[in-house]
Amino acid sequence: MSASVSVPVRAPARRRRSVTLTVGCVLAGLIVALAIVSLFWLPYPPSDVSGGRLAGPGGGHLLGTDKLGRDLFTQLMIGSRIALAVGSGAVALGGILGVAAGLAAGFATRWLDDAIAAALDILIAFPVLLVAMLLVAARGASLASAIVAIGLGSSAVVARLTRVLVKRILSQDFVTAARTSGTSWPRIVLEHVLPNVWPTLVVNLALQLGVAVLAEASLSYLGLGAPPPNESWGRMLQEAQATVLTAPLGAIAPGVLLILLVIGVNLIADGLRDVADPTRRRSR
Amino acid sequence: MNKKAVALFGAAIATVLALAACGTNPNGGSSAGSTDTNSTINVGSLYEPQNLDDTAGGGQGVTEALNGNVYESLFKLNDDGSVSNLLATGYQVSSDGLTYTINLRKDVKFHSGKALTSADVKYSIDKVLAPDSQSARKSSFTAVKDIATPDDNTVVVTLASRSISFVYNLSYVWIFNDEAKNLTTTEDGTGPYQVGTWKRGSTLSLKRFAGYWGTSATNAQVVFHYFTDATALNNALLTNAVDVVTSEQSPDALSQFTNNKNYKVNNGHSTTKLLLAFNDRVAPFNNTLVRKAVTSAIDDKKLLQSIWGNYGSLIGSMVPPTDPWYEDLTKVNPYDVNLAKQELAQAGYPNGFTFTLDTPNYDPHPAAATFIKAELAKVGITVNINIITADQWYTKVYQNHDFVATMQEHVNDRDVVWYGDPSFYWGYNNPQVTQWVKQAEQSATAADQTALLKKVNEQIAKDAASDWLYLYPQIVVASTNLTGYPLNGLNSQFYVYDIKKS
Repeated sequence: MSASVSVPVRAPARRRRSVTLTVGCVLAGLIVALAIVSLFWLPYPPSDVSGGRLAGPGGGHLLGTDKLGRDLFTQLMIGSRIALAVGSGAVALGGILGVAAGLAAGFATRWLDDAIAAALDILIAFPVLLVAMLLVAARGASLASAIVAIGLGSSAVVARLTRVLVKRILSQDFVTAARTSGTSWPRIVLEHVLPNVWPTLVVNLALQLGVAVLAEASLSYLGLGAPPPNESWGRMLQEAQATVLTAPLGAIAPGVLLILLVIGVNLIADGLRDVADPTRRRSR
Repeated sequence: MNKKAVALFGAAIATVLALAACGTNPNGGSSAGSTDTNSTINVGSLYEPQNLDDTAGGGQGVTEALNGNVYESLFKLNDDGSVSNLLATGYQVSSDGLTYTINLRKDVKFHSGKALTSADVKYSIDKVLAPDSQSARKSSFTAVKDIATPDDNTVVVTLASRSISFVYNLSYVWIFNDEAKNLTTTEDGTGPYQVGTWKRGSTLSLKRFAGYWGTSATNAQVVFHYFTDATALNNALLTNAVDVVTSEQSPDALSQFTNNKNYKVNNGHSTTKLLLAFNDRVAPFNNTLVRKAVTSAIDDKKLLQSIWGNYGSLIGSMVPPTDPWYEDLTKVNPYDVNLAKQELAQAGYPNGFTFTLDTPNYDPHPAAATFIKAELAKVGITVNINIITADQWYTKVYQNHDFVATMQEHVNDRDVVWYGDPSFYWGYNNPQVTQWVKQAEQSATAADQTALLKKVNEQIAKDAASDWLYLYPQIVVASTNLTGYPLNGLNSQFYVYDIKKS
């Protein structure tokens, strides 16, 4: 019965090629490739300090070395791994928690919905940095703490969006039709609600990934993220701050990669939105 | 790309450009003209006082700004490490070394106008010894039994045991007016300057005190400008917002000043040592051979070069060259990876071991810990770096001794005596050393004291009680039109009364 109900966002399902999506995929793909290669091969062992202090590019070191004599390119490769791991870890956590909470609020009775909405507002007002500091104070600085802190922060955003989307879908005629025909709630969620909220959520999750990557760099810059010797880009920026005049590449290189990844991810989000919502694309 | 992200990247790019612009060099100060006794000297520092009372946790900043400038002691610790009379005109010691009779200057007035008397001195020493005192020197005065004030200009201090460092230690005791109130926010000292205004988070100004008993300050006003960021501080110097920086913390910013005729970079002696401190109570560091092996496995020279470029020095022990009992002990546990491997094998760890290094989260500790991890990996030792805050260090390491190894900078001079205290956080327990330290403090002459503390120094180096990685440099950068500033900054003091601006 439910199969005969039309699903609004699937109707214009013709996939359009999007320039922003392509550029975004290329930029983010570069970083992903760097991370994947780093799993199998690195120019130097991560803790090799045999290079000279702040050596320039060339002489066996593609981008030169840091003040301890470690190869900069090696650290950048390891950093890409950390950025992607923390970014996707946090978004996965935020996505699961957020969608679950949003669905619960969307289906809940009025007072429970109000309670969840209030809780989400509080969580959104709570800075990610503060959550991270509390976690670090409780369990020490680690990648896991960073993932949990950023994940909690993004879960609130995802949950609020999911709640609104779910409420909108639930008020649609096709859902009423499904309910009157006796379709069970789990089936309504799986076959009607999720497929309809999913495209918007994916765009939002992609945006959250960019935010999460930046948040990880900020936390590591402040010493609240990946502890040394893990070379997060944020930590590299912090360490290079004192030497920015004598060896600017140490600050520029991780900064550029960070910007490339975030731009890439944001372009992907934009591209996905264009694909998902062609009316918006035309109106631009 | 959404608007928020665009704005974010715009801000990021603007920051990068601003940083790049900071590297350009504006015109420095002119060096023409003669000395101006009515000048204002602008001092740049990273260490703002917490409050104005050094017995109430004022911190390093209050010593820097007020010691010798606003508050004076009975004796003065000179920039070269020697001690001379200041508010005292002299002292006599009884033959048993237990009674010190100190004579005070008669012409000294506090900033409030009250004359200095022996009661103020008694009050000030008692203030250091008070139960709620947070003075770093409190433990140096445990031998004080009684303080008597037979007349206004004489103080008689009776000690329970001999203390050859007593006069030296008095150079850390500020003399307060015993009637003064609110000493954490106001002052009443006898120094050449009065505190003008203190804008928290920004500046602290000192004004020349007209009624000063000694030679007047050579400048009319000194303003300490406080920064939390070293780059901002250096930029302030480049733009002439400050005339001198009390202590540079990174060698890389110095290139802006070394090749510039408007600035002088001074490389003085500091007393700050970076330690890899083992917990000598627990395995594996309760084994001397293991400590020696770790010490020999780390290339201190390369570490110093990494952190400080061509500045700083290696000492191989706890004693800096400004202490009278200094000896070059860098060869006792030389950098030698093969020797380290042999010692590890002898100690029963041929394949190394794993330990956790509790590392304070501020510079240079994380970078140094990363270096140590890389060095020790070469002899099979795995280091797990555990980053902790300064507060956590204080409770976990210093108070509870809950650690295996840690890193810390020790700033004081003459602090080798801590190795005579088995209850100190690093738990070094050699009864012979404890005995020597005790005897040194009770010795009759400075020569005896020096001889005994040299023995202490040699023994702790032989036992590799800790790994003394390096001695910090003390780098003061100033405009070339400035003279008369201190170069060594022992214990973070910074006398400003002789500074002249031309």
